[in-house]
Amino acid sequence: MSMTDTRPDTEITAPVSVDGSPIDTPAGLAGWLTSTDHKVVGRLWLVTSLVFLVGGGALGALLGAERLDGGMDILDLGVFQQVYSLHGEVAVFLFLVPFFVGLATYLVPLQVGATEISFPRGASFAYWAYLVSGGLLLASYAADGGLAGGSKTGIDLYLLSITFLNVALCVALVAILTTIVVMRTPGMTLLRTPIFTWSFLVGGGLTLLATPVLIARFIELYVAHHFGGSLTATTGTDWFWAVPQVYVLAIPALGIALEIIPVIAGSRLSPHGAGLIFIGMAGVLGFGAFAQVGPVFDDVLYVGMGLAGALPILGLLGLVGDAMRRGRFSVKAPILLALGSLLLFLMGSVAGAASVIDALDLRGTVWTIGQMHLILEGAALSAALAALWFWAPKIWGVTLSDVAGKLVFLLTFGGALLLAVPDLVSGLVEDQAIGSIDIESGSSVAAMNGLSAAGGALILLAVVVTLLTLLNGLARRGSNPSVDDPWEGFTLEWATASPPPPANFDEPIDLVTSATPVLDRRSDGSEVSV
Amino acid sequence: MSMTMASPTSSAPALSRRPGITMVATMWIIAAGVMGFGGLLASYFGQRGAAQAAGQPWLPDGLALPNVALAVTYLTLVMSAVTAQWAVTAIKQNDRQNLYWALGTTLFLAFAFINGLSFCWRELGLVAGSSPYTTAVYAITVTHLLVVIAAIAAFMVMGFRSLAGQFSSVNSEFVASAAAFWHFAAAAGFVVYFSLWFLEGAPK
Repeated sequence: MSMTDTRPDTEITAPVSVDGSPIDTPAGLAGWLTSTDHKVVGRLWLVTSLVFLVGGGALGALLGAERLDGGMDILDLGVFQQVYSLHGEVAVFLFLVPFFVGLATYLVPLQVGATEISFPRGASFAYWAYLVSGGLLLASYAADGGLAGGSKTGIDLYLLSITFLNVALCVALVAILTTIVVMRTPGMTLLRTPIFTWSFLVGGGLTLLATPVLIARFIELYVAHHFGGSLTATTGTDWFWAVPQVYVLAIPALGIALEIIPVIAGSRLSPHGAGLIFIGMAGVLGFGAFAQVGPVFDDVLYVGMGLAGALPILGLLGLVGDAMRRGRFSVKAPILLALGSLLLFLMGSVAGAASVIDALDLRGTVWTIGQMHLILEGAALSAALAALWFWAPKIWGVTLSDVAGKLVFLLTFGGALLLAVPDLVSGLVEDQAIGSIDIESGSSVAAMNGLSAAGGALILLAVVVTLLTLLNGLARRGSNPSVDDPWEGFTLEWATASPPPPANFDEPIDLVTSATPVLDRRSDGSEVSV
Repeated sequence: MSMTMASPTSSAPALSRRPGITMVATMWIIAAGVMGFGGLLASYFGQRGAAQAAGQPWLPDGLALPNVALAVTYLTLVMSAVTAQWAVTAIKQNDRQNLYWALGTTLFLAFAFINGLSFCWRELGLVAGSSPYTTAVYAITVTHLLVVIAAIAAFMVMGFRSLAGQFSSVNSEFVASAAAFWHFAAAAGFVVYFSLWFLEGAPK
């Protein structure tokens, strides 16, 4: 592991024009459209991904309603399959990965003490490419596209837009990962990196390595379809949101939880390195899904990695439990959401471990959907909402209502369980196949599907409440501004104003000597080494 | 707000240099590119193996590979990696004349590669999408061509900036990064040649 400490020769400063004068960001819409400030771009990612999430949640509710009993009451079979695909793609490509990318675009430069993100124009380009290709992706479905679509042009547009969307995500990842590797403030070794930043280095790095494999598959599908006029039945793209790749996508959720819980408990994570190692383990165990050709139960590596998936999460729960034992348990919305995220992650990884046991015969059943929902709509979404409540003062200068946050926690945690557990039961007990629609009215499977649909509705409600709370906070920002450091945070983003000035920090940062420089300074001004 | 965290005179580890931003980003891009080509080639060999296991022909009937033209085309690209490194060596010695020669030669070889590839495509006469082989061939070679074009773009930017007086022996990171990406494009070309053409064109 690199322990290098100094910046490169090209010292990073606030954005300046050719003559060295500071660049004035235009006001209003022009400012949003042309800004290369990582804070502006990060906010755009966050808000856009949340809007897409509402759309994805509505699609999920539609699917849930369709699964209540047999037959196609609302949609015909072709449209059902398209909505099914689109729901998953919105959840992963338009919400989950973009949300974490947006959070990292905003936070990582602040956490590592940099004045800007590396390749700010690249980061800005990535957002706009994401927005355009996301819109084209939706348009392709409207034009009867998607892999299950019936329009040749629609399918071509789908393949091109989702390819370009993934390229945009890769560009954003390169900018963030380069910032982490190169632009850390002096003294901030990799072992002293804030845990969210570390989790993004692991999760984002592995996503950057996995996504090109998916892009390659889409390119191949495009050539086959555009010139040959056909798509192969097995498209070879669904590994991206299956075990174990889902763990990689959700790794930043672990970093968010481990960043929030110790701060609100008022007790540092000890040892900090153990948190880094457990997150690294989760990444290693989650990598390589693209090499699978379906579940391979006689492969020791496949089964072993699946079974071991829960171990790092148990380790992380032990670490935060120890921090809470040494600190104080304050029932605030972010800590509830963060704890909920870790618990759902644990359940999801246990469900993932069960799915690699051949004797349980869970292959192809909705158990897989339940497991995926626990990780993505449960753990990752809870962590995303926890991040909003925790860092909203930093990002928007507003403190979100704690009561609303607790309501959102109840809706998210309860909704995720209600969404996922019935599918786990239907998969285990009834062997209900993925995408099956021939469900007998009044059967136990129909009842389970009803519960699952109710869970999805609760999660959608949680997202709507979150957006309304955020809008309310923004509307009242003038009369109720946030303080700079409302949580008494540990890491460098809390050592500057909320929201930060254009160059992030008003004064130079001195040598960092621990993983919690702001806490050290607040405690007694002495140094604490990791 | 003051940002003083601790005294710089602390017992922190000795400071050392970090690599440059452009080089690190290039390494991330190359890593992603390696995975992308790995995915394309894994799919290619997976389909090829499945066809052979089923006793089906993998190459279209009557296909004659223009082996000499393919070998010369890809050899041209591999040679350009040498001239790309020549550019790095030149700028590290502040030898601008050699830098210009190296840039020009590298770009000349790259355009020769594109010309050769288009000739090979025409000679092959493959119809995209007509079989798994032709689909894979066009998916892989066109993707590789896009990588080469990106490398050409990086070298052209470098060329214009060097003509404007930028870069020196102490400021050669961009040149080294562009050359590193060029090496990736050349290495990928070698792997593509070996996988798609050499293996299939070897005497049975």
